[in-house]
Amino acid sequence: MSGRFTSGGAEAAFEAMRRELEEALRLSGPLTFMEVCGTHTVSIFRSGLRSLLPRGLSLLSGPGCPVCVTDRSEIDRAIELAEKGCLVLTYGDMMRVPGTSGSLLEARGRGADVEVATSAIQALPAARENPDRDVVFLAVGFETTAPATAAMLRQVRSGGIRNLSVLCLHKTVPPVMRVLCSVPGLKVDGFLLPGNVTVVAGEGGYAFLAEAGKAAAVAGFEPEEIMAALVDLVRQAAAGSYRIRAYRTRDVPREGNTTALRLMAEVFEPCDALWRGLGLIPGSGLRLGKDYARFDALGKFGLKSGAGPAEARDDGCQCGKILSGLLTPPECGLYGRACTPLNPAGPCMVSSEGTCGAWYRFNRQEAERWQ
Amino acid sequence: MSGALSLGHGSGGRLTQQLTQRILSRFGEARFPSASRRPDFQADFQMEDCAFIDAGCGACGSEDDGGGKTAVSIDGFTVFPHDFPGGDIGKLAVCGSANDLAVRGAEPLFLALSLIIEEGLDVAVLDRYMDSAAQAAGEGRVALAAGDTKVVPRGAADKLFITTCAIGRRVSPHVLRTSNLRDGDALILSTAPGRHGAALAAARFGLDAPGLTSDCALLWPALSPLLRFSGLRCMRDCTRGGLGTVLCEWAEASPLGIEVYETSVPADTETAAVCDILGFDPLYLASEGCALAAVAPEQAEECLVALRESPLCRDAAVIGRMISEHPRMVGMRTRIGGMRFVDMPAGELLPRIC
Amino acid sequence: MCLAAPYTIKEIFPDGSARAVSGGVETDIRLDLVESPASGDTVLVHAGFAIQKLDRGESEELIALWNEVSRAAAAAFRA
Repeated sequence: MSGRFTSGGAEAAFEAMRRELEEALRLSGPLTFMEVCGTHTVSIFRSGLRSLLPRGLSLLSGPGCPVCVTDRSEIDRAIELAEKGCLVLTYGDMMRVPGTSGSLLEARGRGADVEVATSAIQALPAARENPDRDVVFLAVGFETTAPATAAMLRQVRSGGIRNLSVLCLHKTVPPVMRVLCSVPGLKVDGFLLPGNVTVVAGEGGYAFLAEAGKAAAVAGFEPEEIMAALVDLVRQAAAGSYRIRAYRTRDVPREGNTTALRLMAEVFEPCDALWRGLGLIPGSGLRLGKDYARFDALGKFGLKSGAGPAEARDDGCQCGKILSGLLTPPECGLYGRACTPLNPAGPCMVSSEGTCGAWYRFNRQEAERWQ
Repeated sequence: MSGALSLGHGSGGRLTQQLTQRILSRFGEARFPSASRRPDFQADFQMEDCAFIDAGCGACGSEDDGGGKTAVSIDGFTVFPHDFPGGDIGKLAVCGSANDLAVRGAEPLFLALSLIIEEGLDVAVLDRYMDSAAQAAGEGRVALAAGDTKVVPRGAADKLFITTCAIGRRVSPHVLRTSNLRDGDALILSTAPGRHGAALAAARFGLDAPGLTSDCALLWPALSPLLRFSGLRCMRDCTRGGLGTVLCEWAEASPLGIEVYETSVPADTETAAVCDILGFDPLYLASEGCALAAVAPEQAEECLVALRESPLCRDAAVIGRMISEHPRMVGMRTRIGGMRFVDMPAGELLPRIC
Repeated sequence: MCLAAPYTIKEIFPDGSARAVSGGVETDIRLDLVESPASGDTVLVHAGFAIQKLDRGESEELIALWNEVSRAAAAAFRA
């Protein structure tokens, strides 16, 4: 896609877009948008797009990284299973997320069997090759990733595999955005909606944004796609009329992937979920439905569900406020001191896509200047 | 730093730096024979790819530090998998150590080789790795001067660990080191970065990339023609931690900043595809046949021409320059005309889904 | 969140998996989540699963906006 619209030179084309933003901002006044998705956050930093934004346009990073929002108690449970002798498989992103006492990476260093998978489907051969062991797939991710877990579970069920279970931490995006929209003092005029979550889940779940007077646009992850969506967002805010459009190179159905959604509905049911830093959000999680409940690692190994003692722990981490867009990373007392990518205190520093991780990695000098 | 060491401590970024400093601090006085105890000497020893010594007078450090023309480097190889497209652990063990000399303007001449073998390794497999090590040594005219083998019980090593020590002679008229860096110096990259890391990651994570081979190669023939340039400041091969780490180390080692032009960095299609799939940044993937060179701006063009003579360096390009702005930081001018900072990778690179 | 890359399907296997290629890199993907995939189809792949077919061509909204702005920029330049 790079260069599709910028054959006369990307710099000149983006400069034209920047001027367009500037013009539109003149009508609307200063605006603040939130990119919901962590992959947007990184793309905005990595492409240098942030440095091109005109004065008066601010971007906040929202709660859009499923790793960032995994609660400590949930990491603790996965470590507990690994240390009990289970073979735990999970995505690489999860390995560095700190629980109450360390991460899965550290547990692996102590001898626990934790393996990195690049797809849920890899849990099947792992279970087959280790018939005498319990294999646990630590399933994390939003609507984009949840269908993969569902497809894997359907095979587990039909294949009569007994030594594979799932610790299900899947979450969905619209409920947390509803919560954000109700946060008092939240100064967000519009949302950049996640590209790949909507590829699966469609745009229907975001209709409430227009009613709440918020602009919204879907974008892919190339700077061309993000820039176009930002221009649209500013225009919506300036005109006071809201309608979701999608800025992707390749067209996909607005209703999402109905095959994937059907499979999710067959395997999962909504539940309340703990979001690190944000607390319990009703209806924002997915757990295994009754036909699949026997593959739930919580039940199989008699683990407690819900908040652990970690919930009560207060170490000064401001991730909740940062995820809500109420604070920027340098405004947190731990940022860059007690909390760095090498020694992350909170979820926002864990992933390079986390708000604080991305700030530290790509914008440290700017951040230091502000401190 | 406390508690157990992690794989991240071995992956070349910030954690490795911390570990190295910690070890060096323990040697203190013992690191320096009396002849070479100079104030600027320590930084040189820590930051560069190989050391210059003079065994005759017991000095360590480069000549003008009271050292000698003999160059020494040492490197351990624990690559997984042992076989990868474009090479294997045997070839890598020779190239890796020899390249550490080449980037300091020293011709690799001798090799010391230590093998830690896990009980149960098929001797035919060992033969194969030693044949490729021998072939690389032959091509580079590096003679095997000393060696050792140890066999350890099953589980005490992963099949085969190789440590090589390369010994050579400094050919460059002046000592190449990061403290030579000057405002305005051009930064030349010899080829597209990250191919070794991408080839290994592809092999590890079940990706089949027929066009992607490790760039593992001896750099001396490609780099030695640069030594005649008086404006050549320093060179570094972009191994663990990749180009991004080398850039950050250079910026941190000098009072200057670095500006890199994204569109000038040579790119490799398959490496980019592997990165897109696994969520890696090519800037942080290891190379084993890719070097960064800093040269005075007026000699950059000639240097580039000389470098491109080598088949390994057809894509060599000026990718950036030393600047006086944002000291100790690496900034990148992006394709769309924006600006972002490049930081060192933190810990082990893990594939990502988000 | 959610890294994904477009792949072209090369060969479909009876178990619901397929060999697919992206930027010269080949791997096995799962087709459980897309309706009637065929060899030659381009699909968006996330975490080893095709999550959508990309058979509808380019998205007009993106093209329209860039064209409008670059025309405006070109017109402003001429004026």
